[in-house]
Amino acid sequence: MPDPRGTTRTSLFRKYFRALFAAVVAPLLIAGGSEAWFGYHAQRAQLNERLDVEARMASVKIQDFVEGVHDQLTWMVQLPWSEDTGDRRRVDALRLLRQVPAIESLGLVDADGKERLFVSRIGLNRIDGGADVSATPAVTGARANRLWFGPVTFHDGSEPFVTIAVAGNRAAVGVAVAQVNLKFIWEEISAIRVGQTGEAFVLDQPGRLVAHPDLSLVLRADVIEQRPLAALRSAIRAKPAGEAIAGTDLAGKTVMASMAQITGVDWSVIVKQPLAEAFGPIYTALWRTGLLLIAGAALAAALAYWLAQRMVGPIQVLEEGVARIGAGQFDHRISLKTGDEFERLAGRFNEMASELSVSQDRSERISRLKRFLAPQVAELVDRSPGDSILDGRRVEVVVVFCDLRGFTAFSAQAEPDAIIDVLRQYYDALERVVAAHEATLVNFFGDGVMILINAPVVAPDPALRAVNMARDMQRDVQALLVGWRAIHPRLGFGIGMAMGPATVGRIGSEGRLNYTAIGTVVNLASRLCSSAEDTEILIDRVAANAIGAKAPLVEQEARTLKGFDQPVPVFAFVRMTETATG
Amino acid sequence: MAPASPVRAQALPVIGYLGSESPDRYASRLSAFREGLAESGYVEGRTVSVEYRWAEGQYNRLPTLAKELADRQVSVIVAPGGAEVALAAKSATATIPIVFEMGGDPVALGVVGSLARPGGNLTGVSSLSVEVSRKRLEFMREVRPSTRKCAVAINRRSPTSGAQLKNLQVAAEALGFELLVLQASIEQEFEAMFIAARDAKAGGLVFSSDPYFTYRSEQLAVLAQRYAVPAMTQSRDFTLAGGLMSYGGDFSQSHRHSGVYAGRILKGEKPSELPVQRVTKVELFINLKAAEKLGLSFPPSLLSSADRVIE
Repeated sequence: MPDPRGTTRTSLFRKYFRALFAAVVAPLLIAGGSEAWFGYHAQRAQLNERLDVEARMASVKIQDFVEGVHDQLTWMVQLPWSEDTGDRRRVDALRLLRQVPAIESLGLVDADGKERLFVSRIGLNRIDGGADVSATPAVTGARANRLWFGPVTFHDGSEPFVTIAVAGNRAAVGVAVAQVNLKFIWEEISAIRVGQTGEAFVLDQPGRLVAHPDLSLVLRADVIEQRPLAALRSAIRAKPAGEAIAGTDLAGKTVMASMAQITGVDWSVIVKQPLAEAFGPIYTALWRTGLLLIAGAALAAALAYWLAQRMVGPIQVLEEGVARIGAGQFDHRISLKTGDEFERLAGRFNEMASELSVSQDRSERISRLKRFLAPQVAELVDRSPGDSILDGRRVEVVVVFCDLRGFTAFSAQAEPDAIIDVLRQYYDALERVVAAHEATLVNFFGDGVMILINAPVVAPDPALRAVNMARDMQRDVQALLVGWRAIHPRLGFGIGMAMGPATVGRIGSEGRLNYTAIGTVVNLASRLCSSAEDTEILIDRVAANAIGAKAPLVEQEARTLKGFDQPVPVFAFVRMTETATG
Repeated sequence: MAPASPVRAQALPVIGYLGSESPDRYASRLSAFREGLAESGYVEGRTVSVEYRWAEGQYNRLPTLAKELADRQVSVIVAPGGAEVALAAKSATATIPIVFEMGGDPVALGVVGSLARPGGNLTGVSSLSVEVSRKRLEFMREVRPSTRKCAVAINRRSPTSGAQLKNLQVAAEALGFELLVLQASIEQEFEAMFIAARDAKAGGLVFSSDPYFTYRSEQLAVLAQRYAVPAMTQSRDFTLAGGLMSYGGDFSQSHRHSGVYAGRILKGEKPSELPVQRVTKVELFINLKAAEKLGLSFPPSLLSSADRVIE
């Protein structure tokens, strides 16, 4: 048989578990999830900012280089040109070459746009060369804006150079034009570290590589090879300023990149950091949040399990206990020491169980007694403490025997169903009368019954009671016999009673005890019954004396009864419609 | 186009070092080379082994020695010390990568196709010394403003001597010098040069850029002092040894760079993809003591623009 308790327990446990778990995990997930989301965005913004700052710092370094050269060149355009070039200028120019290793050659132009001086590290110097360079972009540019930057050119197709031209505060001081070797930026650019593995590079305005930690890339001057870098720049330009973009570098790795522009030379300084490293803190934070969520969920599950157990536990104990009590184990006590409603509920169940137990005991006793006592008598007996009332003692009792005349012959002829039916009606009738008179029906035997009055319960005026009872018994059974005599004319009902001392009590073996009486009076009553004819109620002298005039009695001839030496005086109850047979 | 470096069976990769002179003459160059190797992450004896072949000044032995290294199937051949060494290595192998170090223009000499992408199996460093040899005449003019005659020393053997001589002649005209061309291709001819310069009352002796001269700088300094000839060479060794002046590319830079390139090739980069590098530094060394001895004085422009002044 399936255990309904088991499934109920599981479903309640599961319900609680789920509810508790959800109660803890839901806010946890919401909090964790939103934190992760917000955190991600914050980190991303931080990443943008970080890379932007790196780009600016890198561009500042490159700008410093360019401005350094510019500053030094301004020394060359402070004194006005005179007719005579003089050695002073040449010495100054050579000193400048010494001071600025990046400058490969320097040309000085006077107010009229004529080249006065050209010094070079590699080529021959020119003093008072006199060439008219006023139309060159460098000179015109410098005159217009005081500072001019040329495009980046690659000498011999490899080495990057840029021309810088500087003019003074007035035309008379002329213009200084320098060829700057951009390989000198290499030290700056390769020293720039973005995070652990990030680096910076510089593109000129058309998008060619001017500086890169890997100098070979610059010197190869291969536009096709450099395309991914130019593409990075376009991608950065496509987004709003300050936002770092994801792209691929030359090696095909995904990188985050940001850019800063250098004004004047119009170069772009781009910093790039491998995506994995750039997103490192973001991934770490997400991992951390994820792990915390998982740990939190596990903790929530454990907690929910434990709490649900604690909640369901007492219920299970109650359930089991009530089931046991319901099954009849009234001595079972539910033990719950939880100090709350459950404990009180258990207490009530225990009280109920003990009351049930008591009540069960009582009803057991009563049903035991009811077997031979009238219900009222049984109640009475039950009310007195213990079963002592059923103990053996010697008491003056009235014993009444009755049985059916001609029943044996009837039972031999009739069908079993009919016999049992007749007997039932007969016994029902007798029991009603016995109960009505509060006598004790002690025994059934076949068609006969033995009844005691004054035991186990004391009855006032037992003999009178007995004869009244016998009168009513005759009346009821005779009424039944009317119907039955149709089938068996010879059926009859006779009653005999006697009064005297007898030993009463529970008599029999250990396993089979019956409350009955032992004594001469019992025999006498029995014999009187056997002797009685149909409708007769025979009473002995003692009982008759006790009745006195309270009931109509007529003395009959003494009869000789088996077991008695002397003939026994017999009295008969006189019915209204009857004449004494005497 | 260029093949990958051949891999040797033994544990350490091998570099073949082709030297035109001897280990002691090369001492400072070798230390610069090792610095460059270290920059690329290689340490001789620990992560790489080096096979040396020295021509001991016999430049006609270079092709044979180069062939030896090529037959040894080294991972890369380093051929520093001028155009001759590079050309000898080039003749020995077309597959093994070669790193050269020279004063001349590798494109003009036919060693590489272009500076940006050399193509072939050679790449390396140019020290610019050949280009700047005419500037030595300029410097000499500053020290000897009034001299008319100036001697120049040429090494006939050198592949760049013809070009250099042309440049020097152009410069001499511009500077107002009358050139006296002196030749020497072996040590024994050095003394004769100085004697000839002195006897011709030349204002000075300017040496063209040549490795053979450079590796004998101390010798030349001694001779210059002995014969009281104001001389200018390519290498600082000359000035440090007592010579008057020198102007040439910083060879520690160029040799270090050859080491860097050797390391990069060992790592797997192709020589055809490594651009030829030019040094960024050309240095002027002057020796005040030598000037004093010669009864000369340096003009302020030289004093202030010199990279090193030896007193």
